[in-house]
Amino acid sequence: MIEFDRVNKRFEHHDALRDISLTIDAGEMVFLTGHSGAGKSTFLRLLMLLERASSGTLTVNGRDISKVGRRGIARYRREFGIVFQDHQLLFDRSVYDNVALPLEISGFSQRDIERRVRAALDKVGLLDRENAQPALLSGGEQQRVGIARAVVARPKILLADEPTGNLDPQLSAEIMSLFEAFNRVGVTVVIASHDLALISRLRHRIITLKGGRLVGGGGQG
Amino acid sequence: MNTKLSAQKTGLGLGPRPQLAAWVHHHRQAAADSLQKMLMEPIATLLTLVAVGIALALPAALWLLLDNASAVASRVEAPTRLSLLLDDDSSFEAAERFADTLATRVDIAAVSVLHRDEALVLFATDTGLDSLLQGLQDNPLPHTLLVTPAVDVGTEQLEALADFLGGRPEVDEVVLDTRWIARLDTTIALVRQLVVGTGALMILGAILILANTIRLAIEARRDEIVVIKLIGGGDGFARRPFLYTGLWAGIGGGLLGALLVLGLFLFVSAPARSLLALYDSDFTLQGLGLVGVIRLTLMGGAIGLLSAAQAVTLHLRRIEPR
Ligand SMILES: Nc1ncnc2c1ncn2[C@@H]1O[C@H](COP(=O)(O)OP(=O)(O)O)[C@@H](O)[C@H]1O
Ligand SMILES: [Mg+2]
Repeated sequence: MIEFDRVNKRFEHHDALRDISLTIDAGEMVFLTGHSGAGKSTFLRLLMLLERASSGTLTVNGRDISKVGRRGIARYRREFGIVFQDHQLLFDRSVYDNVALPLEISGFSQRDIERRVRAALDKVGLLDRENAQPALLSGGEQQRVGIARAVVARPKILLADEPTGNLDPQLSAEIMSLFEAFNRVGVTVVIASHDLALISRLRHRIITLKGGRLVGGGGQG
Repeated sequence: MNTKLSAQKTGLGLGPRPQLAAWVHHHRQAAADSLQKMLMEPIATLLTLVAVGIALALPAALWLLLDNASAVASRVEAPTRLSLLLDDDSSFEAAERFADTLATRVDIAAVSVLHRDEALVLFATDTGLDSLLQGLQDNPLPHTLLVTPAVDVGTEQLEALADFLGGRPEVDEVVLDTRWIARLDTTIALVRQLVVGTGALMILGAILILANTIRLAIEARRDEIVVIKLIGGGDGFARRPFLYTGLWAGIGGGLLGALLVLGLFLFVSAPARSLLALYDSDFTLQGLGLVGVIRLTLMGGAIGLLSAAQAVTLHLRRIEPR
């Protein structure tokens, strides 16, 4: 489903990723770990086409994504659900409207939107907060809204960059089990996290980066 | 926490299918949202509308003034004059006698005689061809009679008179003096050109004001644009609310401009009427009218949309997720 083939990413004088080759299968759940600055975010940003690889080939769903042009980026990104550390919610609209945004972008009907938003909020346990303003929610709740928004359009791939970075261990564990639940129904999940204690308790492949190089988990899980 | 996924079958959901109904819905929503955001900042919105309104009202008002002026001009009785160029060999005395006979006609108010030398001097100063004429041996001009028709002579009778005079043996050529009409027409054309020129400048000003309004709106919603782009919103989706902001601001400005013109019209109509009364005219002033109001409003809308499209192309692309 996702394949890195000798991928390099170079910023002016600095290699953020060096010679990364690995495959993530459909339906897999993997963690991406390493110290700060190891290249985890860069890895995910290349997948989302927020950055372009300096060399090497990145294949998603059998397609070389360097072929995706400027105009194709929006449509390409809709293939993913994306969860951010700072959740990137819009504070000028309700929880419901935040979660509905990807569906509006994709042009779903109001009826479908309503149904799907409720289902997504139900899954993250926030059905009763649909009219709340995100700013008034706790950090854990905000992150769950972010996850609901990421899965509402039922993407095949879910990417998360430090989704538990701002949460205490208890909430972090809850968020991770939420991701596992989505993975169980077939979603490919890639989570960048430096919280080794948390992720090593979960039984999934761990890809380790160090100074932009792949140092572990490159082989199949 | 509820982590059951019973309702959702798999992550392999249906792909997005763009539906007309959904598209229309989003348009309506974007239109309503943009309007609501503008109403939430009444002062800023009003300032924009007033600026755009003035920029549109001024050329519209001048244009209206000009329409009225040329309508008045076309109705004014033409104080036309006929110049009779007499035969080369007729003497000045013969010319004076001929003038006396003509003066007795009812359709002629007055006749004056212009000596050929005077005529040459007049011609020289009129045309600025002094030096050329000084080089001439002989005066090529004949004696000339200047005939002022009676006031009640209409266009047809005037032509009949000109025909009659042209048929007289003393007369070589009849020249209808229509210079003043040409002058008026040229003046009106000049002023119209000026109005078009200043109008274009004012509209350019309106476009800049509107484009700046859109730029500020884009800045204010930067976070939203970033998120939309992050989660796969296309240009069309991100652009839509701002195009509506431009459309509403333009329509509002156009409407306000129309109101300003109407106000200005009321303001000047009383003195304008007394002025027209002096000319004993039953002419009625032409206002903007419903068609004019609609036209100005639509024009405002078009300008707003155009400005927004320009601003969006310029600024939206620069906002990319980091
Ligand atoms: N836009 C950029 N310009 C220059 N250097 C960058 C940029 N983005 C990331 N880097 C560098 O690339 C390296 C990897 O960064 P990142 O992928 O964010 O690491 P991580 O997410 O693992 O902390 C870091 O040294 C970082 O400073
Ligand atoms: Mg990072």
